[in-house]
Amino acid sequence: MASYVARIQRRPTRLLGDLFVIFMLVIVLIWAVFPLYWGFINSIKFPADVYGSKWIPVLQFEPTLKHWRDLLSQREVQNAVKNSVIISVGAGVVALILGTLAAYALARFRFSHPTNGNLTTWFLSQRVLPPVIFVTPYYLLAREFNLLDSVWALVILNATFNLPFPVIILSQMFREIPREIEEAAEVDGASRLQVFSRIAVPLVAPGLVVSFIIVMAFSWNEYIFAATISLKESIPVPVVIAGAESTRGIDYQLVGVRTTLALLPPAIMALLAQRYIIRGLSLGAVKG
Amino acid sequence: MTQQAVPRQMEGALSVAGRIGGRDRAKYLFIAPAVIWILLITIFPLLYAARTSFYAFRSGRMLRYVGLDNFRRLLEDEALHDDLVRTLIYVAVVVSVEMVLGFSLALLFNRQIRGIGSLRTIMTLPLFASPIALGYLGQTIFYEIDGPMNQLIRSLGGNGIPWLSHPTWAFVAIMIVDIWQWTPFVFLVALAGLQGLPQDVIEAAEVDGASGWQRLFSVTLPLMTPILWLILLLRTIDAFKVVDIVISMTLGGPGRATELYGFYVFRTARRFFNYGEAAAQGFLLLFIVMLLVTLLWQRIRAIYEPER
Repeated sequence: MASYVARIQRRPTRLLGDLFVIFMLVIVLIWAVFPLYWGFINSIKFPADVYGSKWIPVLQFEPTLKHWRDLLSQREVQNAVKNSVIISVGAGVVALILGTLAAYALARFRFSHPTNGNLTTWFLSQRVLPPVIFVTPYYLLAREFNLLDSVWALVILNATFNLPFPVIILSQMFREIPREIEEAAEVDGASRLQVFSRIAVPLVAPGLVVSFIIVMAFSWNEYIFAATISLKESIPVPVVIAGAESTRGIDYQLVGVRTTLALLPPAIMALLAQRYIIRGLSLGAVKG
Repeated sequence: MTQQAVPRQMEGALSVAGRIGGRDRAKYLFIAPAVIWILLITIFPLLYAARTSFYAFRSGRMLRYVGLDNFRRLLEDEALHDDLVRTLIYVAVVVSVEMVLGFSLALLFNRQIRGIGSLRTIMTLPLFASPIALGYLGQTIFYEIDGPMNQLIRSLGGNGIPWLSHPTWAFVAIMIVDIWQWTPFVFLVALAGLQGLPQDVIEAAEVDGASGWQRLFSVTLPLMTPILWLILLLRTIDAFKVVDIVISMTLGGPGRATELYGFYVFRTARRFFNYGEAAAQGFLLLFIVMLLVTLLWQRIRAIYEPER
């Protein structure tokens, strides 16, 4: 009752407050989308439309797919897209297999030396290691083991460095499954592996999807290892962008089309998977 | 099929018992692949890098054992010290701005409004943006003659800013890119944290007549402390690791104005092929990061404690 009265009395300031919130909402949305939109519209402009403030395709300028056709017809770029797809999907699959097994172990079994807490921390600590310290050993080891210029080396590296995401997301989700469901199945004669694969894993399907998407998106963006390992055949999208002369300088359309090629797939993935993303990125600190 | 049914049933009963005692063998089969994988792919290369750091290299070939020379050079290399100081400034500025801005926005939007779901969705976009692509995009956005940043400033009546040719402004420009990309992270995690707070405590404070600021400082902030420490830790570590944006946006220039430590290490290895020194430089970065984690871990372990 008291708070109700207080709310009535605050009404004029509340209205102002609401307007402020809406104003900030608009600012924040423009802020988040602007760079991506800027790259995108430049990628579909004719050179004549680049200058002057033309922001809305069709209404303010005639869009063209010329730059996209030019870009995607280059063999180098086609190859890079193919490599990036292999690296992202491959890293996603590997990280998901290893991560799901480990997550289930952390959620369902008790370890004593080291404890579950130690193990979880250890898995999460992969997230802390600066990739740049691995440039030297990975290059030298890849040279030694004939893995230079191999997309599979990049699959392995990306899977490793993104492993914390499936581990943390899925171990929390496995814990949320009522134990009774699994125990009932075990009593009915299902083996440990059957309980895991037929009962537990299907129940965390949304977590699998989100983990897969997070690993894919970050593997798609990864540059440092790619620049270290790939020489020619295994070059993925970020390296091909960084190597292109046309990206330097201020050729708006070429920068636009190349950066959009790199930015679009992860953006689409981010939009597809909303639940659990924040939980994964915050290493399970919040249930977002 | 029928032959297997009986042993399986026994195994099931056993495993329920084994689980309680923690003596279950199967658990090692689940955890082992990931543990072995990490030992092989990160721990072994780290040891290999440790060995490398005691050797001199010339154009990519191992020459001879030099003991601690590469580490001694860390102390003498003035360019490296400059870059380290620059990196500390960079980390301090971007992380503070991101924390303050992100948390303020989270407080502002922590209410029932229509469209908050789509706001959250859209705010995840920057987190997934490729830093390499962002750097090149940054070159056009901050382009001094007619890039959108200077167009905006001019339309507001200001003079254009020499974003990429002036040392200080170039440093500011790469910081803006980092702040653009990672403020949403602070915002989203803080917002999720705020929404997970026990609502009855906050409502009780409201009923007791606590003002908005009182509620913020004596109820919300203390409850949010562990999560804010975690955000701070993750952001600080990631800010120390920045390499990509420097490579794609400024290449460390103009002069050495935007040379961050990670970029310095990367260049030692990839441009100068001095793997011994690069390894030593890398270990300094690892040491700094580990120090931070150790210092901050005590404050955030509370988040993971109830799970254990």
